[in-house]
Amino acid sequence: MIQFLNLLINGITEGLVVALPALAMTLVMGVNRFPNAATGDFMTTGAFLAVGAQLLGFQSLVIATLLAALITALLSAASYELIFKKLARQPMIASLLAAIGLGFLMRSVISFFAGHDQRTFNVPLVRAWNFDGIRILPTDLAIAAAALGCLAIVFVLLYQTSFGRQLRAVSDNPDLARASGIRARSLMIGLWLLVGLLSAIGGVLLGMKAVVMPELGWDHLIPAFAAMVLGGIGSPVGAVIGALLMSVAQELSVPLLGPSYKLVLSFGVLALVLLIRPAGLMGRVDLIR
Amino acid sequence: MTAYLQAIGIVALIYALLALGLNLQFGLTRLVNFGVVAFFAIGAYTSALLALSGVPLILSFAAATILAGISALPLGLLSLRLREDYLAIVTLGFSEAIRITLQQEEWLTKGVQGLPGIPKVFASLGPAASDTMLFFILLIVTAMVAWGTVRLTRSPLGRLLRAIGDDEPALMALGKNPTKFKVQIFMVGAALAGLAGAFYAHFITFISPEQFIPLVTFYVWMGLIMGGSGTVRGALGGAVLLMVFLEGSRFIKDFIPGVSEVQMASVRLAAVGLALILITMYRPNGLFGKSTS
Repeated sequence: MIQFLNLLINGITEGLVVALPALAMTLVMGVNRFPNAATGDFMTTGAFLAVGAQLLGFQSLVIATLLAALITALLSAASYELIFKKLARQPMIASLLAAIGLGFLMRSVISFFAGHDQRTFNVPLVRAWNFDGIRILPTDLAIAAAALGCLAIVFVLLYQTSFGRQLRAVSDNPDLARASGIRARSLMIGLWLLVGLLSAIGGVLLGMKAVVMPELGWDHLIPAFAAMVLGGIGSPVGAVIGALLMSVAQELSVPLLGPSYKLVLSFGVLALVLLIRPAGLMGRVDLIR
Repeated sequence: MTAYLQAIGIVALIYALLALGLNLQFGLTRLVNFGVVAFFAIGAYTSALLALSGVPLILSFAAATILAGISALPLGLLSLRLREDYLAIVTLGFSEAIRITLQQEEWLTKGVQGLPGIPKVFASLGPAASDTMLFFILLIVTAMVAWGTVRLTRSPLGRLLRAIGDDEPALMALGKNPTKFKVQIFMVGAALAGLAGAFYAHFITFISPEQFIPLVTFYVWMGLIMGGSGTVRGALGGAVLLMVFLEGSRFIKDFIPGVSEVQMASVRLAAVGLALILITMYRPNGLFGKSTS
C-alpha cells in the first residue's frame, strides 16, 4: 500500500512534467497538423542550456531555467520561420521528416560539445520527508509546483487572452479563422515561442528529477506522444490528463515489469488507444473533408 | 583493399534491400514506416539465434524473413485505421519497444552483451571466400527484388498500389478495396527488412541491441529520399549515396584534427539531420529528381 502511494506520488509528479511537452505537441498538432518529433530534443536543448547557464555562474536555478527557456523559445520560433513554415504546403510527411532531422541536428550539437556524460543540476540536497513510509522529496514537490504553475499560465493564456482564442480558432478551422481576419504570422511566432518555452521547462524539470543527458528528451518523445493521443489530439486539457494517466500507469508498472519497460508500456497504451478509441479521451473524431 | 571494397559492397546491398522494402511501403503505397530497424532487428536476431542453436542457415534465413513479415501484421492492420502521422509514430515506438525488449530479455538475447560468434555463410570455405559468396548471394537477391519491384509497379496490382498512394478515396469510389493490399505490402516490406537483417547478422557475426537504434531507420529514409522515393532506381541509388556518405564520413575524421571517434558519431548524426531537413525542403523528389513536386 505504502509502495503503491509512493509510486502514485512519483507518477503524478512525472505526469505534471510530461504534460508540458505533451501540451506543446498537441498545440502544434492542432495548428500546424504534424507531430513535432523535435519536441524531445527541444527539451534536451533546454536542459543542457540550463546546465550551461549554471556553469557560467547563473547559480539560481530559476534564472538559469528562464534563460534556457528563452533561448530555446527563440530557437523554436526560428525553426518555424526557417523550416516548418516553408513546408506547410507540402504533405505532412515532409514536416515530420524535417522535425526528425532537426531533432538529430540539435542532439548532435549537444553531444558534440557536451559529450555523453550524465550531468546534474546544482540543487541543494535535501532529505526526503517521511510520513510513516510515504516519502516525499521536497525537490519533487518544487518540480510539481513549477510544472503546475506553468500549466496554469498556459491555460490562462489559451482560454483568457485573445492570443489563445485566435490559436484555438485556427486549430478548429484554419480557413474560417483566416476568413475572420486572424493574422497567421504573429500568431504562429507566438505559438512556436510558447512551444519552445514549454519544451525547455519540461526538459529542465525532467533533468532535475533524474539526470541530464543527450537522450533525455528523445526518450520521452514516445510517452509524450502517447499521452497526447490518449488525451485526444488538439485538446490541451486532454494532453494534461493523458500525461498524468500515462505517467501513473508507467510508475505503477515498475514493480511488475521493471523500470526499463516504461517506454514499452507507453507504446502499448498508444497502440491500444488507437485501436479502441482513436479520438482519445477528450478528442473529437476528425471528419474527412 | 578488395576485402574492404567487398565489405562496403555487402553493407551497401543490405541497405539496398532495406531501401527496396521501404520503397514498397512508402514509395509506392505511402505507408510511413518509421520502424524499419525493428524488422531488421527481428530478422537479425531470429536468424542468429536459430543458427547458433544449430539450425541450417537456409532455414534460419527463411524463418527471419517470415517472422519479420508476420510481426508486421498487427501494425499493418492497425495502419488501416490510422492517419499516416499516427502510423509514423506508432512504428517508431514499435522499434524502440523491440530494442528495449532485446535489451531486457537476457535469457534469450544475452541483453546488452549481444550475441557473438554467429556463423558465416559457407563458413567451411574460410572467411574470405565466405564473404565473397555472401556478396554474390546478396547481389542476386537484391537484383531479384529490384526486378520484382519493377515488374510489380508495371502490373495492374502495381497501378492499384500507386493509386492507393495517390488518391485513396477516389480508388474506393471506383469500387476497389485497397486495405488488403496495404497490409500485404506492409508485410512484404517488413519481410525484406528481416531478410536484410539475417544477411547483416551472418556478415557481422556479432549483434547487440545498440546496433538497432532508430538512427538506422533514418539512414534508410535518408537514402531513399536522396535517391528519390517511388522508383527502384531511387532506392538503389540512394543506398549507394548512403554508403558513400557513411564511409566518407569515416575518412573525413583523418582530415579534421582533434575530433574523437565519439564526436565523429555526433558529426554523422548532424549530417543525417541536416540532410533530412534540406532534402525535404529543397529536393522532395530526390537529388536527381525535379526540384519541386
